[in-house]
Amino acid sequence: MSHDFRPVAVVATALTPAYASFAGPEAALVMTCVNELLETTGLRREEVEFTIAGSCDYLGGTPFSFVMNLEGVGAWPPVYESHVEMDGAWALFEAWLRLQCGDVDTALVVGSGRASAGRQREVFALQTDPYTMTPLGTDPVSLAGIQARALLDSGRATEADFAAAAARALPGASVEELLKADYWCDPLRAHDVAAPADGAAALILAAGDRVRELPGTPVWITGMDHRIESHHLGLRDLTSSPSAARAARGAGVHEGPVDVAELMVVHSPEEVVLRAALGLDEAVPVNPSGGPLAGNPVMATGLARVVEVARRIAAGDARRGLAHASSGPCLQQNLVAVLEGEH
Amino acid sequence: MARPCAVVGIGQTDYRRRLEVSLEGLVRWAALEALEDAGLTFADIDAVVIGKAPDLLEGVMMPELSLADALGAVGKPIHRVHTAGSVGAATAISGVTMVESGRYDRVLVVCYEKQSEGNATWALSGGKSGGQGAGGTFAPWIRSYIKRSGAPEHIGWQVAVKDRRNALRNPHAHLRIPDISVEKVKESPMLWEPLHFLESCPSSDGAAAVVLASEDLARRGPAKPAWVIAHAKRSEYASFPGRDPVRPRAGVDCAEALYRKAGITDPLRQIDCAELYVPFSWYEPMWLEGHLLTAPGEGWKLTDSGATELGGSFPVNPSGGVLSSNPIGASGLVRCLEAARQVRGTAGEHQVEGARVALGHAYGGAAQYFAMWLVGSELRPAFA
Amino acid sequence: MPQPGLPPMRTVLEYPYTRTTGPVIGAFLTGIRDGRLLGGRIGAQVRCPPLEYDPGTGAPADLDPVEVGPCGTVSSWTWVREPTASHPFRHPFAFALIVPDGASTGFLHAVDAGGPERMSTGMRVTIRFKEQRAGAVTDFWFVPEEDGAEPAPPVEGGEPVTLTEQPLSLTYTEPYHPHRVRFLTGLLEGVVTGQRSPVTGKVYVPGRGYDHLERTLMTEEHDVVVADRGTVSSFTEITPVRYHGQKETEPYIRASILLDGSDSPITGVDIRTIPLAEFRVGLRLRAVWKPEGERDISAFDNRSTGGWEGVIDRWEPTGEPDADTRALEEHAF
Repeated sequence: MSHDFRPVAVVATALTPAYASFAGPEAALVMTCVNELLETTGLRREEVEFTIAGSCDYLGGTPFSFVMNLEGVGAWPPVYESHVEMDGAWALFEAWLRLQCGDVDTALVVGSGRASAGRQREVFALQTDPYTMTPLGTDPVSLAGIQARALLDSGRATEADFAAAAARALPGASVEELLKADYWCDPLRAHDVAAPADGAAALILAAGDRVRELPGTPVWITGMDHRIESHHLGLRDLTSSPSAARAARGAGVHEGPVDVAELMVVHSPEEVVLRAALGLDEAVPVNPSGGPLAGNPVMATGLARVVEVARRIAAGDARRGLAHASSGPCLQQNLVAVLEGEH
Repeated sequence: MARPCAVVGIGQTDYRRRLEVSLEGLVRWAALEALEDAGLTFADIDAVVIGKAPDLLEGVMMPELSLADALGAVGKPIHRVHTAGSVGAATAISGVTMVESGRYDRVLVVCYEKQSEGNATWALSGGKSGGQGAGGTFAPWIRSYIKRSGAPEHIGWQVAVKDRRNALRNPHAHLRIPDISVEKVKESPMLWEPLHFLESCPSSDGAAAVVLASEDLARRGPAKPAWVIAHAKRSEYASFPGRDPVRPRAGVDCAEALYRKAGITDPLRQIDCAELYVPFSWYEPMWLEGHLLTAPGEGWKLTDSGATELGGSFPVNPSGGVLSSNPIGASGLVRCLEAARQVRGTAGEHQVEGARVALGHAYGGAAQYFAMWLVGSELRPAFA
Repeated sequence: MPQPGLPPMRTVLEYPYTRTTGPVIGAFLTGIRDGRLLGGRIGAQVRCPPLEYDPGTGAPADLDPVEVGPCGTVSSWTWVREPTASHPFRHPFAFALIVPDGASTGFLHAVDAGGPERMSTGMRVTIRFKEQRAGAVTDFWFVPEEDGAEPAPPVEGGEPVTLTEQPLSLTYTEPYHPHRVRFLTGLLEGVVTGQRSPVTGKVYVPGRGYDHLERTLMTEEHDVVVADRGTVSSFTEITPVRYHGQKETEPYIRASILLDGSDSPITGVDIRTIPLAEFRVGLRLRAVWKPEGERDISAFDNRSTGGWEGVIDRWEPTGEPDADTRALEEHAF
């Protein structure tokens, strides 16, 4: 199915550091990224035909936070623009579809968040079922702990597997040392959980003749899909991720070898679930960037995975890569993009 | 190139306070009605897109997650749009993109707001005392419009009466004021000079849904499709030196792009009726001008002439509009689906006789986000 | 990042949401209020809590209630060592997936077990109801079966639960942005600080740390002091509506004022001492500051609007002729 689509390429990427607390507005993070993209491509802001951003009001506790962010995105003269209350990876998905329509050849995609102001375990309890879960404060760390326990009980993972995923994000850490740490949400330890951070990611997509006209090495998006599964944890097998597996099929992951994968592993056990669901064997390097456990700019974390894969392919370090983003408790919703370099 | 897309199913709830349903029940009401209209079930849907205004309105963050099961989305893509007040129309356009891209054949679009769960003014003020409300933001611009255009004060009252009279023909409408009159409007309390209580939209609960389909499937379906002839979106900053908030350039650009794509050269004549997002009465003439339906300074004259009444030459908001029902996040989709009902000929008591091409519109933020679609009884109508 | 002189800003987002339950969750919560755990049969499965639809297809499902529990089996769990303010207990506890006896599938709830060594997958737990119950999932929790007493017989005959209250309280704490610190420190000293765009020379008050028109970040070197007098560019008389946290009861004016030397008006300025009949666009005003020791910037956050009444006692007409209103139209925000 992915072969029927108009070729679309990532032609420029930008990524801020993941700040523990960024000293400035979210719009400034976004502006920094967008300016870098415009400089790289030589495009004027008004030349970008479609723009779409992803962010979340509740992170900073202000309604319409995307209205302020628009000042960083750029909207004068007026722009053709949209916004998803989702990770920027879903903004990328809509932009990719928009470019399929053929009348638009360039798109700017942004994901941004300032998570440092809020107590995000309490905030994210608001994304669970409002009648039966939110009143209990069902936070993502506890829910990830339940998923981790299910993995251990099923024999599909050991605590050492969790530590191994965490160790990759912590330079100098050893699995042995990490396993000595105290539990936080048993069987999770603090290092198994990505700390919410402030940051932004952005990229420019091009299609048609624009790909060749713009400088830099294009990295082609050859497939993309996303799927959701039940919100009710009792109806799910938490040791697997059928939605990630289905998204991988939809994106055509298995039509070629995967040289690199950047997965949105916000809790280390998720790597075990995702590797299995996405069909990534031990040989596939996962999260060479360190992944979200090394830097988790909430609402940009998923889009940052795409940026990381695109950069590795553009640099010639990989030919075909997989980027993954996730949303919701225990990997409820999953997005997969396949990126490829020139053949 | 983009594939044609059509509305093949429409559903909506009543827009009063819905105290008998859960959030799931509310969105499912509209979704199931739209599916039934299209002769489909959830199993036939390839992807779902939902839209609503800020999550703070109900206190449910990223509701696509907790509503996924209720909307039959398990195993499918579900996408969530948020573009302030324009979100209902923006969500419809995201759904159209999904079909036009060739990726999906049938997309379910659902928008909702359940204002009775929380309080919009609280949410819009970020939980602080002394919030000015949307009316407080728009009132100065309305005064500027009146001053600039020389419009007489009764225009606002007249729009308020017209839309409430139309609402009496729409069983879904929230406000039903049988004895509505200019006297009643101008004697209602002044909320934000010059806006009276009855010139302002209510706080409503409600959900709206459409099923969008590719050309093949639309032609094969049981119900008459409303074809999406063109759509456009534009955004600009909320404030900057040199901005014209009364006639924002993004609104002008959006309309220009829409008419150009549709091949429309004389919108007032070539479009048969419009559902415009008019949360405060004066926005009818302001958008008539701001979206190039009339020349600057002429919008209020069109309203004054009675042309925008049901039965006039260019009916605006035959459903009663946002002034009669405002489930915020759904209001834009309601404009879009009411336009579709008109060209399908299924608008019931508020049907515009012979409507072939209709405009659905929404705006949001500080009158800075615009989303519009044109729907027609034919895919490529010939405009004379 | 330390911000000398100014403590971090703290915002409490607090609202008592009310949720209408609909018939199915309503029946579940009514059961809780009465002291029983209800599931709903859909096909061959008993779901607890019951659902309004078949989760496999989305097809509507009328409630076919089945009483389940009061005991159940833990299918997975985590030990929460540091409860958040939103959790049901202040002390460590378990969140667990619990399949009640008689139900096909489990749901998430809390187990008050004392310590993680008493938790295990497959363990038996029993429900414990609070004595005072409103009909909410917080009216009960689970304990290890050996800690449980025989639950009291359900109470019969109450009105069905149709509404559940959900108080939300989230606290946000963040340092003021650097440009905000300089602006607010200026206010405490009785000066209004803006930022001059290095590209266009336009002066924004307060500065935002960037010029969005020119896509340029701005820093301390772009700070400029503007006058504390200016022209009304826009205003609204607001009749306050009631909502949670609203303290206003009488109509008041919110004005935008274009301070002399600036190109963007300050907004949300509270006007209480000038009658509405005398207030107009073009009116020239000057600030009367509060005494230095009484200035309070706590109502300012990191955004641009509001809070002026904490540092400025009132705005007085200067007595100058009105400014040309046509030139002010673009500042009508």
